[in-house]
Amino acid sequence: MRWVDVKASMKEFWFEFRRQKGGLFGLVLLFLLIVTALGAPYITEPDIPKKWSQYWEGNPTTVPPVWYNYFTTKKLAPHEVLTSNDLTIVSEGEDIGGGMKYYGFEFTYENNYDTPPSDIIIRNIGVKLTDLNSPAQIIITLVRPDGVKIELLNTDLREGTTYQLAKDGKVRNTVFRWASEFEDPQKIAESGETLKSTMDTMRVIFAKAQEGILTNPEALKGTYTFQVDIFTFNEGDQVDLSTTEIVLPGRTYGLMGTDYKARDLWAGLVWGTRVSLTVGVTVAVLTVLIGIFYGVTSAYLGGWKDEFMQRVNEFWASIPTLPILILLGAAFKGHVSLWTIVFLMVAFYWTGIAKVARSMALQIKEQTYVEAAIALGAGTGRIIFKHIMPQIMPYAFAAMALNVPGAVLTEASLSFLGLGDPTAVTWGQILYDAQTQSATINGYWWWVIPPGLAITLVAFTFVLIGISLDRVLNPRLKRL
Amino acid sequence: MGYGRYITIRLLNALLVLALVTLLVSVLFTKVAEEDIRSTIQEQINLKLRSNPELQRQLAADPAKLQEWYQREYNRLIRVYELDKPFWVRVVQRTKDTLTLNFGNTKSPIFGETAVSKIISKAIPRTVILFTTAQIFVIFIGLLLGVKAAQMSGSFLDRGVSIVAMVTSSIPMWWFGMISILIFSFKMGWFPSGGMTSMPPKEGFAYYLDVLYHMVLPVTTIVFVLFGGWAWTTRNIMIGTMQEDFIMAARAKGVPERKVIYGHALRASAPPIVTMTIFSLLGSIGGAIITESVFNWPGMGRLYWTALQQNETRLLMGVTFVTVALYLIAMIIADLAYGYLDPRVKVGASQQT
Repeated sequence: MRWVDVKASMKEFWFEFRRQKGGLFGLVLLFLLIVTALGAPYITEPDIPKKWSQYWEGNPTTVPPVWYNYFTTKKLAPHEVLTSNDLTIVSEGEDIGGGMKYYGFEFTYENNYDTPPSDIIIRNIGVKLTDLNSPAQIIITLVRPDGVKIELLNTDLREGTTYQLAKDGKVRNTVFRWASEFEDPQKIAESGETLKSTMDTMRVIFAKAQEGILTNPEALKGTYTFQVDIFTFNEGDQVDLSTTEIVLPGRTYGLMGTDYKARDLWAGLVWGTRVSLTVGVTVAVLTVLIGIFYGVTSAYLGGWKDEFMQRVNEFWASIPTLPILILLGAAFKGHVSLWTIVFLMVAFYWTGIAKVARSMALQIKEQTYVEAAIALGAGTGRIIFKHIMPQIMPYAFAAMALNVPGAVLTEASLSFLGLGDPTAVTWGQILYDAQTQSATINGYWWWVIPPGLAITLVAFTFVLIGISLDRVLNPRLKRL
Repeated sequence: MGYGRYITIRLLNALLVLALVTLLVSVLFTKVAEEDIRSTIQEQINLKLRSNPELQRQLAADPAKLQEWYQREYNRLIRVYELDKPFWVRVVQRTKDTLTLNFGNTKSPIFGETAVSKIISKAIPRTVILFTTAQIFVIFIGLLLGVKAAQMSGSFLDRGVSIVAMVTSSIPMWWFGMISILIFSFKMGWFPSGGMTSMPPKEGFAYYLDVLYHMVLPVTTIVFVLFGGWAWTTRNIMIGTMQEDFIMAARAKGVPERKVIYGHALRASAPPIVTMTIFSLLGSIGGAIITESVFNWPGMGRLYWTALQQNETRLLMGVTFVTVALYLIAMIIADLAYGYLDPRVKVGASQQT
């Protein structure tokens, strides 16, 4: 085949393919998938695979995506992080005599939600103490939209302390004492202790001051101001507020919610595209190349060599793939690298294509021009690569596309069984986690639906392309 | 080549495959089991020492004696577990055991049994109930739709079948199972989320109704994911046949269209369809490995999952062996049926002549 011929046949092929609507749609999808896979570090963050095996500190666990609010009547607070830029500094080390200094800052929270954030985390207050035995003091006061002022916390401030208001026992006590005033006294007398231990501190803080504030809190919307006052007692003590962060873990998070390790599922979904596409395409291309090479060689050699190669093929083909893959995975103790999985799939999947390639090659072999080439003394390699292979290549492309879905589904299945590569971010693994954490029974739909849809989408893309290629290249189906 | 000789060769081939696969799997698992046994031995020695204060006192005084006792105990247990034999001897022994269905026992009871063969014989019927029922639905709906689509090729139905087939064959069956549990069990509360019976199981006739009730969700899932592909394949085979000359001839002769489709075309398309049927029916015994664990259905698939999670190597070997054997049987039956139904096919080694 000369270059001009290749160009001409490509042109002709494209002319035919253009009329396949499904195929074009598949190409568009494929393009989008490739963009997602390549752009993963830019769409999300570049260190996701490294972070993936850890717990994501500061994020809420198993919360739905932010857009879930559009479908519910009860609005859930999103995840928010306030940095030092969002703080109003009241005082930066005002000297109040006796070596004492006063630092103060404020931050506000606009509560427009029926369910407030699940916690308020104040961290990274840069305190430098000269004497570790005399810590600084921190007072956190809340001013509610109804004008009520509550001193939530009054405690020591040491280096590296993080305050989690919802989990703090002192805060719980204060809030409970304040809220009990509005509650039915009889109820408090009867089941006060239970109410206190089951109280959701955040909900009470952000609730209307009325009866039922403890049992059935109703959100009070408006601006909440948190005043933080810090006092230091030694001359050399210093407080640096420039690194301070306030985290308000939401009841919703990001585009796709989070899982039990508080990981951002959106990041997992985007990064999963890479694994899925890489595994699918690599397996399909290698499988088809090996299969075709094997089939053509077998057909060309003929005689007992052909017979022997066919017996080997049949033997290999009669091994059921998934059980053996599972077994091998178990033998590797569940730490199968992605490339091992690719290798195993290639090792098992080439047989079918080899059969078809052989039968095609047997026909081509009988053509007069091949016989002429043999008569002219062309070598085996030349005949196989120059005369037989080019005829089979179109079929090969269709076979490659049609093989991708199988590989994608198998990889997902193996990961789902917990046999995947633990260092890779894959959709199968996300679903494995979902299954082991009983996500379906708990109704965590955002953890189950998107990864499966993603797997389906990749498989569907290649089915579309493969079937369209098949229609164009296979003359018998062309008429349909 | 005669049919009888063909059968013999086919059977021998299958047996050889089975033996070689078993050997391969044995190599893997003798290796895996070895580490397992070594840690068991350590545990046993420690247990023996802990539970015997007399011995402890004796040995605590003299470190050399402790060392000696330890070594002796270790060697004894190595012999008990046959780790003193060379690797290949153990592999061959394991292969032999597996081939003679002598699978051994699991470490902890599963389905109330510890003998692997008993566990498997409990699991097989349960899988058959679920998957064979589902497969029958799939085949029935698939054939019906496929033939109709082929008959009206290019119609709305035909396009619909193609699209449904493409979409459903891209869906992982187990994921669809998770979704149906999420919707119909969790949100709607119509069906149980898993298992084969209620806990505790009901008595008498109510038991069977209960099992049926538990089957609805998994069967629907399997049928939904598989029927499209079946319909589409049937359609393609049928359309291929309908382009053949004898169909044209029949039409030209004025044979009624119904008869052309069902009498001529479907009959000629029978061999590949029957092969597919046999394959999926027998293949269903292996169970869709993961789907069962999603639905918590106590069959062969769940066994795989359990064996993997609990690191039960003997059970894994047993289940794999049975699955491979059933698969090979299906292959043989399918091949024989194909040869029988379609005399044009020259099977096996006779292709060359």
